[in-house]
Amino acid sequence: MNDFLSLLPLLVTCCGAIVLMLLAALEKYRPESGALLSLGFLAAAFFLQLSTLGEPARPLFRELFNGMASTSGFSAAAGAIVLACAFFTVMITHTYFKENSFATLEFYAVLLFAVCGMLLLTLASELICAFIALEIMSLAVYVLVGFNRNSLRATEALFKYLLLGAFAGAFFTMGTALVYGAAGSTRFYDIAVFTQSGGASAPLMIGGVFFLLVALLFKAAAFPFHAWVVDVYDGASVPVTGFMATALKTALFALFANFLAQSAGLHDKWITFLFVISVMTMFGGNLIAIGQDNLKRMLAASGIVHSGYLLIALVAISADQFSGSVIAYYLAAYGAGTLGMFAALSYLGGKDERRVSFEDFKGLAKVRPFSAAAITVFLLSMAGIPPTAGFMGKFYVITAAINADHIALAVLGIVSSILSMWYYLRLIVLMYFHEAEEGFDTGRCGWAGTGTAILVASVFVIGIYPIII
Amino acid sequence: MNTELLFNGFAILAVLGAVGLVLFRHPMNGAMSLVVTMVALAGLYALLSAKLIFALQLIVYAGAIMSLILFIIMFLNLQEKDLPEESGRWYYLLGGVVVIAPIALFLIKIVKTLPGSEATIVGGGFGGIKEVGLVLFQDWLLPFEIVSILLLIALVGAVVLAGKRRLGK
Repeated sequence: MNDFLSLLPLLVTCCGAIVLMLLAALEKYRPESGALLSLGFLAAAFFLQLSTLGEPARPLFRELFNGMASTSGFSAAAGAIVLACAFFTVMITHTYFKENSFATLEFYAVLLFAVCGMLLLTLASELICAFIALEIMSLAVYVLVGFNRNSLRATEALFKYLLLGAFAGAFFTMGTALVYGAAGSTRFYDIAVFTQSGGASAPLMIGGVFFLLVALLFKAAAFPFHAWVVDVYDGASVPVTGFMATALKTALFALFANFLAQSAGLHDKWITFLFVISVMTMFGGNLIAIGQDNLKRMLAASGIVHSGYLLIALVAISADQFSGSVIAYYLAAYGAGTLGMFAALSYLGGKDERRVSFEDFKGLAKVRPFSAAAITVFLLSMAGIPPTAGFMGKFYVITAAINADHIALAVLGIVSSILSMWYYLRLIVLMYFHEAEEGFDTGRCGWAGTGTAILVASVFVIGIYPIII
Repeated sequence: MNTELLFNGFAILAVLGAVGLVLFRHPMNGAMSLVVTMVALAGLYALLSAKLIFALQLIVYAGAIMSLILFIIMFLNLQEKDLPEESGRWYYLLGGVVVIAPIALFLIKIVKTLPGSEATIVGGGFGGIKEVGLVLFQDWLLPFEIVSILLLIALVGAVVLAGKRRLGK
């Protein structure tokens, strides 16, 4: 029964997706009703997910599923974050589509399918299931990226993402095959048993895990595979970019951590590799972000930097007592800040996303004081200034690194955090200390405004919560 | 000895087919070249005693899916003038080879560590319909079920990206 409860959020979202898909065939439903319906399904799934948070870690339906899906406190938390991100994304789209009219009901169906894939990804404890979940999520996100067919940039972004994503999928299957060849099973548990007894150094295992990591790092936009992310985030519409930057990353790092944390043998073997990748990701991302003049491109690049911090957390986890709380907390904090930025952008961007560069936001504080204040909060949270959630997230990641005796990594993390202040604070300075050049004819805030307000509150609540508890 | 010869033959054919798919300028030639790869893969499955997969590979992939692809290419009626200008493609190819070569060497090194073994015919009905069905519906139930979501989203996605759209409704 409890196993069923853990699967229920997934089933609810899947039903929601199918209902929306069927309704899309009827003429009389407008996209607004699609937004309402998906908000309902996502809220129901979210509260069901919350009710499973305290459940112990265990395989789901051991007899039926053969240990291919399992849940834990970390998986449940990651699922809740994914659902919350999707909920706010739908709120954002509701307002965004008033100014940018390419909405159809199918948009919401595809979005819910993507959430299905992400929830499956958090539950997967077997490589083939993980691959299918990854592909469900990726296919849905490709469609969302290219949804605006009138925009050449969106089509270009779709094309790039699709081709490179197919490469990553191929690497994942290749890695799965090699790991199966070495360990004789694709279940995380069996792989852990195999690597525990020195199997992590078997040539097949090294090759397999290498290809798996390449695929996962590609999807996470880590250093050598980050080139696509700036163009794709820039080409996709604002709500989709926000969704990709938060929900997709959460689901992916859930799988990443679940896979690596299963066995100390595997984790120890790859720690140096991950160490180098995380440092390169942080500094490479900062370097790209500093050079950007376009707000969405800057946020994409800062997403790369945040992937770097999450990789620090992955380096620092110990397989013996893995709870994933640091990673889940960081993902929640980062998700609130980033989605908030995109929520504000969705109604400040104007018709067809005219307002995109830093210069366009000059003097925003005079015209829209509340929006400017909200953006300031989100930027400060991403930069890691107390008492916001972003600060606590970085604090936990860096203390985890120190506890795991990776002092160098912790120091580099702090240096990168200071570097990143440059591009976050630049926007704040432009908003507050410059005069507006043109009139700000922005749309009404609508639901995105409400979403922004809730996210501002949650940035503080998530930031203060660990102090009170 | 025979199996090794067969394996090498099929493997070389499969790779040549894939290379042809990339190199042929006209999509029709590329598709025909893909058929070679598909059939060669079916041969490899047969060598593994995977009877059902061998048949499915021939019927579904080399048969049904390839004829669909060929049908669509013929339907588009591509002429020489419709094909894009690909002036620098040999340079791109060279770059690709340079990038792929280390990975290939890495893989070859891994494969060389494998102990050699004699090929034998697997008994016990391995690879038959009944055995594959039992494994599929007992051990691999969850992946089998979630593939249905994958196929559904692929369909919906194709309709959304390519279908007619009623905007503002």
